[in-house]
Amino acid sequence: MKIYVGIDDTDSIEQGATGQSANQLIKLIENQRWGSCQGLTRHQLLLHPDIAYTSHNSSMCFTADIEAIYLNSLIEEAGKFLERDSAPGSDPGLCVVAAEQLQGAEELIAYGYETKKRIVTKEEAYTLARKLGVHLSEHGGTGLGVIGALAGVGLRMTNNDGRFQGRLKIKKPGATISVAEIKSSSPVDRVQSVDGYVLQENEEVRLGEKLKTVLLDGMRNLLVYRRESGREWETCTNAHLENY
Amino acid sequence: MDFWIKNERGQAQFKGGRHDWPQASAIAAGCLHFSLDDEDELVAEEERSCYNCRYRRWTEHSFICMKR
Repeated sequence: MKIYVGIDDTDSIEQGATGQSANQLIKLIENQRWGSCQGLTRHQLLLHPDIAYTSHNSSMCFTADIEAIYLNSLIEEAGKFLERDSAPGSDPGLCVVAAEQLQGAEELIAYGYETKKRIVTKEEAYTLARKLGVHLSEHGGTGLGVIGALAGVGLRMTNNDGRFQGRLKIKKPGATISVAEIKSSSPVDRVQSVDGYVLQENEEVRLGEKLKTVLLDGMRNLLVYRRESGREWETCTNAHLENY
Repeated sequence: MDFWIKNERGQAQFKGGRHDWPQASAIAAGCLHFSLDDEDELVAEEERSCYNCRYRRWTEHSFICMKR
């Protein structure tokens, strides 16, 4: 069965990162042989002075294919992991959604978008989770991480939000290679310009220092751009990707 | 020159907004508190930049330095 796992607020200002926690959770699931996990994505939520985020208010989500009999064990162990390994003073939350059991994905998606636009309360998150029958739990501190954990899953389900965690290693920065080679030597599904043009297999791209990918149309996209008056496609910088 | 303004909560907010790359880099170069954030949260190309520091708290239009 396909599941979505969302976590948030596992870090403090002095230590930890929710992306690192998510990667450890992925290892835990795979080491237990409960199933295999796919792309971890980071989703930006609202930046507002009244929200108690550490520094960037983002949440993380990954998907996994697991045997249904392991679902309860996974939820239990993931909760214990967050309680044990999250940074002191953090407010971790966990959301687990079994795709085939979810009725009302559109409500979860709408909730995800809401968390980008307004302050959402913990009560709202729990109310929606109960209504949809999805797992949502807190594992320390104020437990406010449940808001983002649920939002991370909703935003991942849009298939059009967030950046993939980590960076690609294909060739050295400055190398120019074809789209076909990029796709065959990395998890990239598509190479697309920031304006929405999908590059052909034989088109060439100059690789930059840090290769990050984004989730668009349900695919892992490497975004590229052309400098003004330039003819060459180049991979986007971090600054280009700040709104993804 | 002062690159900070006190917000309504008395916190030091960067005057340069979210894209003053040279200034954010220059400030971080001389900052004793600078600590590189997680790789997924880096936005500036120059590694040592306030924009890449784990002690910056993003706001809608800029960031607050949590060490000032």
